[in-house]
Amino acid sequence: MAKIVVIGAGISGHTVSSYLQHYLGKKHEIVVVSPNKNFQWVPSNIWVGVGRMKPKDIYFPLAPLYKKWNIDFKRALAKSIHPDGGEGFDKGYITIEYVTDEDKGKVEKVDYDFLVNATGPALRFDKTEGLGPHNGTSVSVCSYDHAAHAWEKLQESMEKMKQGIKQNIVIGIGHPGATCQGAAFEYVLNVYFEIKRKKLLDYADITWITNEYQLGDFAMGGAYIKYGGYITPTKVFTESFLAERGIHWIKQAGVQKIDKKTIYYEKLDGTYHELKYDFSMLIPAFSGPGIKAFGKDGEDITSKLFKPNGFMIVDADYTPKPFEEWKASDWPSKYQHPEYANIFAPGIAFAPPHTISKPHKSPNGTSITPAPPRTGMPSGVTGKIVAQNIRDWIKTGKPVMKHKASMAKMGAACIVSAGYGLTNGIAATMTVYPIVPDWEKYPDYGRSIKYTMGEPGLAGHWLKWFMHYMFLHKAKGYPFWYLLPE
Amino acid sequence: MNLLHKERDLARGYSEFAYAPVPTRMTKIIRKNWIWQAYRFIRLNIKIIRIVAFGHS
Repeated sequence: MAKIVVIGAGISGHTVSSYLQHYLGKKHEIVVVSPNKNFQWVPSNIWVGVGRMKPKDIYFPLAPLYKKWNIDFKRALAKSIHPDGGEGFDKGYITIEYVTDEDKGKVEKVDYDFLVNATGPALRFDKTEGLGPHNGTSVSVCSYDHAAHAWEKLQESMEKMKQGIKQNIVIGIGHPGATCQGAAFEYVLNVYFEIKRKKLLDYADITWITNEYQLGDFAMGGAYIKYGGYITPTKVFTESFLAERGIHWIKQAGVQKIDKKTIYYEKLDGTYHELKYDFSMLIPAFSGPGIKAFGKDGEDITSKLFKPNGFMIVDADYTPKPFEEWKASDWPSKYQHPEYANIFAPGIAFAPPHTISKPHKSPNGTSITPAPPRTGMPSGVTGKIVAQNIRDWIKTGKPVMKHKASMAKMGAACIVSAGYGLTNGIAATMTVYPIVPDWEKYPDYGRSIKYTMGEPGLAGHWLKWFMHYMFLHKAKGYPFWYLLPE
Repeated sequence: MNLLHKERDLARGYSEFAYAPVPTRMTKIIRKNWIWQAYRFIRLNIKIIRIVAFGHS
């Protein structure tokens, strides 16, 4: 009997554990370690942030489902990985620290035959002074409780607008190297929609602030799409969306500090600026969760398993090279550690070989470049192939590793909601294929023009709605969930 | 009218957002037309399913 330990129960971790129990049944032991008691469908946080959904609409408790699936669910933080064993273990183990009231602080060692690190990101509000809902003055939509808090603050701002007090609304990216531009962009469009619906636009000045070199970069180096009879960059598509709504934009901006009234940022040209705000939602930098790694004799081998940003080293080509020499083949396809073959890191947990967007530095030496996105569809797809490869390894006794999903061969759909309602909703449906441009295979545009597209319309909103219910159906393990795509 | 829309008219040709294309009335109607959007909903679903299927082996 094999024992598989999955760290994390987000989109990627939950996908791995769901498929593993489906493939392996009760013949093998599956352990999930996560401090979170709920699974949340993160893409719908945006609708919580504008009051269109309640937090309970986008999450469900994991414990009952894992009990039904015979998965051992430990509500704990993973603290360290010991891939060579030691201290009485002749195989790898991890140390965990419980977070539940009854066992809070209790430390346990959990051994494994296969380890899947699917932790997702740590939200690093601390990387930007004054940022975030806990110790700062901006709000966030990165989790359902953050989004609910954002909605409270937005309502306060709208109340002031009703009194005739003009409000500066600033939404975007809160760190020079942060990613998740799509989610922030979606939020600015939804905030606009709600303010317009309440007929308060004359009292709102809305600004989009981003670290992208051009709008529409979306941390993927932008894309070319067929649009209105032209092949046009996503820059035009994105700018059109903002211009149509009268939303200002500031690009090439690295936010460095925020206080109660002002956002301080540096532009790529090296100049420093200040921006007054009344309501601000800024996405923080991400990092790995800071798990340590130790050898058999207790020596620190963290750098062998993780990059300095805390993300796990996998089968990517990490050789430093200039942008012009980046290749699609640099990107991992199995999400397997090169030395410890029984350790995997799908989803956000793996360390990308480099950014997808071209790196830029200001004359002051500040890197203003978005980190590569791995959320949503890539998290699900990479989680699934990791589960398939572990299943094959257990069943054949050999590391066959025939399932692959490189981000340079995988497409993604990003549905940017811009308003809510069966007849009044709108969303921009964007697909890219592949996510990482492959200039050898697609020398003209880096991607397939047939499968890379952007289209605003009501259909996109229906699609996002449909996906909300479909993916929650899948995550809850309802009938035939395994037939639904990631 | 939004304040920025007024500013856009004044700044035409000088501020960056004045260069972005904006949709015509007909484009906006098509974006909300049930029949056309129902057709696009089906086409978009097919396209996304294909993308997911191609994405891993």
